Amino acid sequence: MTEARPAGESTRNLRRDKHVVALLGNPNTGKSTLFTALTGTRQKIANYPGVTVEAKVGHMQFENTELTVIDLPGTYSLAARSPDERVATEALLGRLDETPKPDGVILVVDASSLDRNLYLATQVLEFGLPSVIALTMVDVAKTRGITIDLEKLSRAIGCPVVAVNAPKGEGLHELKATLHKRLHHPAAPLSLEFPPEFVSAVDALHLKLADLGVTLGYTPTRPEALRLIVDAAGPLFEEAHEAGGSAFDEEFSKLRTQACGGKSAALIEAQARYGRISAWTREARTQEKIEGRTLTDRVDSILTHRLWGTLVFILVMGVIFQSIYTWASPLMDLIESGTKWVGDLVGSNMADGPLKGLIVDGVIGGAGGVLVFLPQILILFLFIAILEDLGYMSRAAFLMDRLMSRFGLTGRSFIPLLSSFACAIPGIMGARVIEDRNTRLTTIFLAPFMSCSARLPVYTVMIAAFVPDQKVLGFVSVQGLTLFAMYWVGVLAAIPTAIVLKKGILKSKITPFLLELPSYKMPRPKAIALTLFEKGGAFVKRAGTIILAVSVIVWALSYFPHSQEITDKWESEREKSSYPLKTGSKLVGEFGVGIYTFEAAAKLPEFQKALAEYKLIGVRYSERIAQIEGELEEGQREREIARAGEIRAEAYTGLQRDLGRYKFLAISEYADAEIWRDERLAEIDSAEAGEHLRNSYMGRMGRTIEPAVKPLGWDWRIAMAAIASFPAREVVIGTLGTIFNLSDADETSEPLRETLQKAKREGSDEKLFSLATGLSVMVFFALCCQCAATLAVMRRETNSWRWPLASFLYMTTLAYFGALVTYQIAHALGG
Amino acid sequence: MTPTVLSTLGVGRKARVLDVGGDAQLQQRLLEFGILPGVEVRLVRVAPLGDPIEIEVLGYNLSLRKNEAAHVHIEALP
Repeated sequence: MTEARPAGESTRNLRRDKHVVALLGNPNTGKSTLFTALTGTRQKIANYPGVTVEAKVGHMQFENTELTVIDLPGTYSLAARSPDERVATEALLGRLDETPKPDGVILVVDASSLDRNLYLATQVLEFGLPSVIALTMVDVAKTRGITIDLEKLSRAIGCPVVAVNAPKGEGLHELKATLHKRLHHPAAPLSLEFPPEFVSAVDALHLKLADLGVTLGYTPTRPEALRLIVDAAGPLFEEAHEAGGSAFDEEFSKLRTQACGGKSAALIEAQARYGRISAWTREARTQEKIEGRTLTDRVDSILTHRLWGTLVFILVMGVIFQSIYTWASPLMDLIESGTKWVGDLVGSNMADGPLKGLIVDGVIGGAGGVLVFLPQILILFLFIAILEDLGYMSRAAFLMDRLMSRFGLTGRSFIPLLSSFACAIPGIMGARVIEDRNTRLTTIFLAPFMSCSARLPVYTVMIAAFVPDQKVLGFVSVQGLTLFAMYWVGVLAAIPTAIVLKKGILKSKITPFLLELPSYKMPRPKAIALTLFEKGGAFVKRAGTIILAVSVIVWALSYFPHSQEITDKWESEREKSSYPLKTGSKLVGEFGVGIYTFEAAAKLPEFQKALAEYKLIGVRYSERIAQIEGELEEGQREREIARAGEIRAEAYTGLQRDLGRYKFLAISEYADAEIWRDERLAEIDSAEAGEHLRNSYMGRMGRTIEPAVKPLGWDWRIAMAAIASFPAREVVIGTLGTIFNLSDADETSEPLRETLQKAKREGSDEKLFSLATGLSVMVFFALCCQCAATLAVMRRETNSWRWPLASFLYMTTLAYFGALVTYQIAHALGG
Repeated sequence: MTPTVLSTLGVGRKARVLDVGGDAQLQQRLLEFGILPGVEVRLVRVAPLGDPIEIEVLGYNLSLRKNEAAHVHIEALP
């Protein structure tokens, strides 16, 4: 191996040829595309705890060098304020444990806005790390008449500049080669012209830091002393303040005053940097005058137009919202039926008992409950990724900022909140685009207030059962109006919540809303696919484990103690249900000598054949009826139904003629007994499930809190359904079904609606549900945060249990009082 | 040309920045984005709801709220 290497390469070098390179640049510069082009799709995500900022880590090879590349969050400056920027700065300086300290930097610089992009470059180059500038968007710059002489720019800056076009793969090899060379031959750090008193103050501070024993784990470098002077509130200052105490504070403020001499440190820094930048660009850039407006400007004059812009915006939002609803539902149905199929398959191969319940209802059911959100998340992120790539997201924020700022939010909060109407989970994850931490937390906190699609089944069932199907003003349906009102309940609760939060605990130092409006670009399918894969995977992994655990716990609470006594009691009922099929009837004697019972008769081929024919007549009739109802118009139906009835009667008469009257009656009696047994078995199953549930820990909880929910018009069964639906609120429908002894209830089934209508309060003849109770249940579910998945994602996004806990308690309290007020008012009005 | 502030500049008009104020955070942010004394800016458009505004500075487009633009002192150019 060693012999094959070029001369001068020693084994010592071979071992050392592993480097860590940071990829740093402004947002919207094509940095992530470059990262993917350099490292391929095998990327790892590094999470920085406490800030939920992610950096991607990938690997690339050049000749004998292994390079680990860290894609740091996009930042405009090393003056760290937003969590993203703070991570970028800290990681660049190697001050974070999650990623290794970089020994080289690729600075991604957008040629179309060279000056602003070079600002960050001047900051980084001061640290003297081996760096290469990757110049992107050269073609965009060209359309604006900008030509950049790479040679001259490299020489002026003193750092190699390589033009790259990552989507086309151009310049990548040269970038790697230049970086490789640079890593072995570093250059001197950049030195800018600051005022002399500023320079001497920085030098003094640099020395003082060591004197005062401010070590930050190592002795701060001179560029760090400079950052300390200009960012007096940054993380460096906090640490230096910790380490140096009051002696440092005193010295620091003295030196800072001396450095700035009455001017602002930020102005001194900006002037020094932009001064140097304009010297660089004067030499290397030529700007041709281009007649006419740029494409972006022309598109923007429509997309941010008072009328057209607003219309396009509404259209785009409408399409997103609709797609989340409509595209997702077939996929969700597929996942649900898939889960059920797997559950049935596993269930049919396992003996009854707690283990089966745990696996089928707890684990498989829980996993299905996680996966079912995936289509909505992926669809939303598909849109966000496309719009972000296009550059439309910042325009949407531009359009909506005024409206959202009234509630203390920013334009960037709008899309996460809107998408929460489909599902709060993608909404909460989408809030990452908001820079300011407090505004982001407020947005996350508000997301579950938007009525998500999982609340819809609850509304649908309750409205169908208890809201009269009437019209007001001749055309407005009361049921539709109620549904509309339910969507507003959440919004109306969210507005004061936002205002209180932003005025109180989440008050931000009014963060500047400075937002770059980048030029429009074509979306990159590969990058979008990668993003979707990442987001989907992250959701399944992190939220999945928590939801699964909660589902298992809720299952256990509603399964145990599962008394054997109850099981035995219903087992004997099951046996009883087949008695009529075993006992005799004097009519069966017709089938032969010595046949006294149905049991004996059922074994005879003649009996079986006749029974099969008898049943077939019934089956054909039901099939025909289903066909008629599916195909024919209202008016034609009756005649056809009557006709089908006649055909059936004829068939029975024919059969009776063939068999003889008594045999026919025996068969019909037997068939009726079978139907009765099947109905009875279903009844027993649900009654048994109901009794076990009532006796379960969950059932006991429901009965314990019954006094508290009485003023809401609820009884223990509704209370229990509310508790059991903690993992996912749509579960409440199934739970209500089980509790009210229905074996198979889902939101469209007629029986559930009717059963709820008929349900009586225990020990009385009074109806349990009235309009008031129905409304109170709906308002409760509109306001509560009954969704383990949402809470789990909130935990992940805020990196603390504090927010999900606060959200759950706050929303449950709000839901309780909302339902209380609703019930009391509706009840008083006679509802 | 009389000195004024950026938030009052008319659509399509150009101006030269004279001074950048505001609290330390806003000032630093504005400066980093290239809004510093001597630089030329152009007001591109105003959002449909009247706020924020979009300006062109150093060859790129930036959106900022009017109350932020009020801290940027300018002289309007013909």
